[in-house]
Amino acid sequence: MVASAQTVLRDAWSRLQQVDLIGGVVSDVLRGSGLNIADVDVVIDCGSDVLDGRSISNCGFLGAMGAHHKEESRVEEDGLFGAVYATTKVACGSASVALVLAYSKPSESDVSAYYSTLTEPFYQRALGLDQVSTAGLMANQYLTRTDADEEALLRIAERAWSRAAGNPWIEQSPDLGPEDVARSALVADPLRSLQIARPRDGAVAVLLASEPVARRLSDRPVWVTGMGSAMDSHLLSERLPGQLEACQVAAHMAMSRAGLKDASDVDLVEVTASSSATEAMVVEALGLAAVGHGVDCYADGAQVDVNPSGGAVPADPIMATGLVRLHEASARLAGRIGEGQPTRALAHGAGGLGMQNHCVFTLEV
Amino acid sequence: MTDGLVTSIDEAQVLTTTLSMPYTLTTGPAAGSFLFELGNHRILGSRCEVCSRTVVPPSDYCSRCGEAPDEFVQLPETGTVTALTRTDRGVLALIRLDGADADLLHRLDLAKGAVTVGTRVRAVWAATATQSVLDLDCFVLDEDDQPPGTAHPAGEVGLIAQVPHQLELEYQHSYGPHYGRLFDELASSRRILGSLCPTCRNVLVPPREFCDACFVRTGQHVDVSDHGVLQAFSVIHLEFVGQTRTPPYIYAEIVLDGSATRLIHTVAGFDVATAAERLSIGMPVRAVWKDPADCRGTLNDIDYFEPVPSPDQQ
Repeated sequence: MVASAQTVLRDAWSRLQQVDLIGGVVSDVLRGSGLNIADVDVVIDCGSDVLDGRSISNCGFLGAMGAHHKEESRVEEDGLFGAVYATTKVACGSASVALVLAYSKPSESDVSAYYSTLTEPFYQRALGLDQVSTAGLMANQYLTRTDADEEALLRIAERAWSRAAGNPWIEQSPDLGPEDVARSALVADPLRSLQIARPRDGAVAVLLASEPVARRLSDRPVWVTGMGSAMDSHLLSERLPGQLEACQVAAHMAMSRAGLKDASDVDLVEVTASSSATEAMVVEALGLAAVGHGVDCYADGAQVDVNPSGGAVPADPIMATGLVRLHEASARLAGRIGEGQPTRALAHGAGGLGMQNHCVFTLEV
Repeated sequence: MTDGLVTSIDEAQVLTTTLSMPYTLTTGPAAGSFLFELGNHRILGSRCEVCSRTVVPPSDYCSRCGEAPDEFVQLPETGTVTALTRTDRGVLALIRLDGADADLLHRLDLAKGAVTVGTRVRAVWAATATQSVLDLDCFVLDEDDQPPGTAHPAGEVGLIAQVPHQLELEYQHSYGPHYGRLFDELASSRRILGSLCPTCRNVLVPPREFCDACFVRTGQHVDVSDHGVLQAFSVIHLEFVGQTRTPPYIYAEIVLDGSATRLIHTVAGFDVATAAERLSIGMPVRAVWKDPADCRGTLNDIDYFEPVPSPDQQ
């Protein structure tokens, strides 16, 4: 990974079109990278036609993506899955430089209606299942099936909002902070509104390059050491309650490729979550805590830094959230943001209703 | 223009649109039978003997082994809540029906009494059947606390083969700086704007931030003529969803003078049946604008394009 960039994640980029967000972030990722658009062999873009309100929406974005007369492919999934595609293209030698981008403007539509379109139409859609009720059901299962309590879920969300307050790439809401989590509205019990992933507008872009190109461009390139992904059953009733088995499989796949024993071998992880309950389930699936004890990862002095950016609960640019995690993790390894000198990181993305699909990257400098 | 300029500095203006998609969904044996038998107040599941699992609603294949299920079974109307959540749209729960090995997602009505994980519940049927999962209206507290029932073979089942479905998705699309300005100028001044690429010097309509071919910022809006050249045309006879004109009409690609891009619009002003004789590729065309009072800041503020009469026709 030789460069990455993101826009500010905000409530609404109401004066820009998606295409403007995309053009801006692609321009930003190239700036200072040592590469120009002519060096890019392949462009992989990730977004949602349903959120965009147009079919095969990437067709309208080609120019802004810098993909004119290039190999271009759309991944209708979180951007981290697009990064798997791009990394594979580079690793197998069919591209020297790959651009991955993901973007989202959920402010233009109804997020609940978007998630409703993901549901099974005969059995689930008519019942009004959406991302909020799914998060509530999964949190209820987590609390019922493990030792965790509501207090733990509050602590995780408070920590997320506290870290988000220090993230200059998240538009700050002066009236929202960690102290507001416990008094925010109960929207899908046991979850309160500030415990559920908050949709944001934004875009993110990452440049991946072959080893010779990366060594030429940087004395400290970030290496992709492992990738993994796995999909769980579509119906919640067919998944293991209180745990994210597919996340565990994806993480195992990435970490064994990287030669890591478990996620405690890395310095920092950036994870995606649909709520503070599923965030606990993710860190448990990564092996950072026993089932039901995910909250322990957020204690002061924890060995692995979890979500220094704040993660997805305060800022969820749907379809771009996982690629933002990769950007955050790699920028910290490269020393572009943050403190300390982390050398290994893990980034996690998810897709689908209730995080059906998981993707994990391991990185090293 | 009635709604004000879309580039207002006070408030970002949006284009409000609805994507309205009609579907006819094919149910398949499992969902089709499940929906049909709800109308008979029967809850169907499917049984996989390989995995010794009964799931409800039924599935056309076992999620564990992938095999087709052995038979449909009928489940009791009672079960136990395994998970629930309250939202402002009601209470959703996962319910383990007696005799099932997987949960059923459905609604809970708490009017009969409080329900939590572990509570016994029973089904309540809708007063009128609509051939949907809501023919089973909801589950409520089972006050009688009946002993758990068991699944048994369903026997003969009916089938709803297809279900009409409608997706209605609403959007508020941001115009952005370029389209906003384009539409303002169309509505207020009958001007057509393009973007000038500083590298290839092409003028691009509609205006945009980046030149598609060069990937450089365009930076400058320029006026484009409302006269142009017909690049391609086709007479549309077919009706389709989303059409804004009544067939027959002429779909045309027009290169406006001073621009390098093709604008999609309509050529009209004469009997469509004579299109083949009247029109030729490369012929000059010009915009016919709507009355200023009817302009709304869209490309349809140009009513249509018409052939420019040759000097001997004038």
